[in-house]
Amino acid sequence: MLLSLALIGCERSHRTAQEAGTETVTVVFKHGKIAGDPAQFRDLLDRFEQKHPGIKVKDETLPASTDEQHQYYVINLEGGSTDFDVLSMDVIWVPEFAHAGWLRDVDGLLGPGEANGFFPGPLQAVTMNGRIYAIPWYIDAGVLYYRRDLLTKYGRPVPKTWSELVVTAQKITQKERGLYGFIWQGKQYEGLVCNALEFIWSNGGEVLEGGRPVLDSQRNVEALRFMRNLIANYGVTPELVTTAIEEPTRHIFGSGKALFMRNWPYAWNIFDKEGSAVKGNVGVAPLPSFPGNSTASTLGGWQLGVNRYSRHPEEAEKLVRFLTSPAAQKTLALTIGYKPTRKALYKDPDLMRQQPFTASLYGILLQARPRPVTPYYMMMTQVLQPEFSAVLAGIRTPEAALASAQKQVGHILGERP
Amino acid sequence: MSGRDQGSRFVLPAVIALSLVTVYPVLSVLYLSLHRKLLIFDISEFTGFDNYRFLLADDRFWNAFGNTAYFTMMSVSLELLLGLGIALLLNRTFRFKGVMTALVLVPWAIPTVVSARMWEWIYNTDFGILNHLLGMKINWLGSPFWAMNAAVVMDVWKTTPFVAILLLAGLKMIPQDLYQAARIDGAGRWSIFGRITLPLLMPVVIVVLIFRTMDAFRVFDAVYVLTGGGPANTTETLSIYAYKVLFQTLQFGYGSTLAVVVFLCVGAISLLYLGALRAEVEP
Repeated sequence: MLLSLALIGCERSHRTAQEAGTETVTVVFKHGKIAGDPAQFRDLLDRFEQKHPGIKVKDETLPASTDEQHQYYVINLEGGSTDFDVLSMDVIWVPEFAHAGWLRDVDGLLGPGEANGFFPGPLQAVTMNGRIYAIPWYIDAGVLYYRRDLLTKYGRPVPKTWSELVVTAQKITQKERGLYGFIWQGKQYEGLVCNALEFIWSNGGEVLEGGRPVLDSQRNVEALRFMRNLIANYGVTPELVTTAIEEPTRHIFGSGKALFMRNWPYAWNIFDKEGSAVKGNVGVAPLPSFPGNSTASTLGGWQLGVNRYSRHPEEAEKLVRFLTSPAAQKTLALTIGYKPTRKALYKDPDLMRQQPFTASLYGILLQARPRPVTPYYMMMTQVLQPEFSAVLAGIRTPEAALASAQKQVGHILGERP
Repeated sequence: MSGRDQGSRFVLPAVIALSLVTVYPVLSVLYLSLHRKLLIFDISEFTGFDNYRFLLADDRFWNAFGNTAYFTMMSVSLELLLGLGIALLLNRTFRFKGVMTALVLVPWAIPTVVSARMWEWIYNTDFGILNHLLGMKINWLGSPFWAMNAAVVMDVWKTTPFVAILLLAGLKMIPQDLYQAARIDGAGRWSIFGRITLPLLMPVVIVVLIFRTMDAFRVFDAVYVLTGGGPANTTETLSIYAYKVLFQTLQFGYGSTLAVVVFLCVGAISLLYLGALRAEVEP
């Protein structure tokens, strides 16, 4: 009853607006929590509304946990919901949503050659069968944080290989009491897969090749064994990483209790704040690799797409176009610290001056690799997470875990057409 | 028209409302569980009992089943024992009894997710107060042995007050003159407890057991927030497994099969208890 009254109310106001000749369309934009000051983000949306009279933007924040956001989208899109028009998606969801037919093809939004202006990683993640289903909005990639002061004190270089990292960490932690060598994220969750892939890729290993799983390779075994050894044999990584996600590791490093940390770039702004225990002593570098292989970062970040069932697809596309434009990405980089997905912005003088850290990430972001781009990814990661976790906890050998993962992923990819 | 017919007419709206909100979803899940339904691949086909056959051979299901059974047994029995102890204490007269009763209830009043986060910090290897007090560095949530027991302890902390309060209500219903008579007959404390308190409390105990076993068997939020099912699925309960299959990998058919199995287990458990309750009430 109340609902129908409300609906009638809406319809009325809609009609009067039409009669007045200024039809206002409201575009609903769903996204996760915006970092930093929400007012600055609203300013950007106001700028869009000024540029496009007749379009109002209602932005609605979803719960912070990405699992819950995924669940929200799945339930609503499966039900053909028209409650939102523009949605913000984690890099691993786009192939899944596109395959399910929930996303509008936004290939036409980019001008000729414009796609090449984006970093290759996110572009690959939003492309399915040669069509683009979402526009990369901001980008993330795994990096190595190190304590510059401690490395200088002991005259050690920033490690380029994993074995260098182990040696350096062992040397320094023997002298410095209460200091952990190298911390990363090893809880059974999506972040563990991101971490493990960086070890696997930096040893020349792969998960999928030509659509077939190649998990049980010698290179992958070596990479996982190294992860386990960091904890069990080298005395470099404390056991607590097997339950750690990003924030606990960021806290430990931020309180000066770790020499090296793998994390996403967001942590840098926090370390650089006034009052931080490690301010001025933190350096960021590409992650090390195994000899003869190159560094690898897992790609993260968010993309904007248009709900296939949207009642106002053109207006929604305008908003996507606006928010992913060079100007908007620059504003977001300067105000909130979101890393732009367009390569050219990293040469922008304002950005280089005000956010030198962001500009310095260019090389790493260029190399960042998406997790396997397949609609099956969410099923695959449900297999990989417990198997990798079992290796870290010492329940299974890397060989056994990878053989089991190989079988299960094969089952997922093979049995279901 | 007889009075009885009149009555069913008045009951009808409630019956319809109940059917809509309970019977329909249950039937719908049963129906889904007989299908192979993968949202993203637009696959939806009837496969009969294939999902159930797959389930019987699914190691991950049996692992989750074992975890759930262990969690339920441990947490419910500990909660009953501790809850009974607290109820007996609170049933005596002493100063500040009202304050004590309120204090005991605090853990129960905290939302589950909040208390799970709190315990996550308590168990933290590095900053956690538990390791600080013990002077050790135990990786509570990361070790396959400790993780499930850590979840049990959290649940016991949180739910014992609920058990205690229900049992306290039961204790209050026992007529005082029975105790007086027993004391005049010269019965000792233990025989009063064993022959009066416990038998008269039994119906309430069974009700508590029904509530707690059903809740514990369906446990989701507490464990999901605390460990996410890790390490290596050693704390993955049936509800967490069903959630992952349903909402993270979108296999609605098999996910529904898991949900049906949880439903059947809980149903069987409550039938057992109800049988016990009937035997208790009508000897």
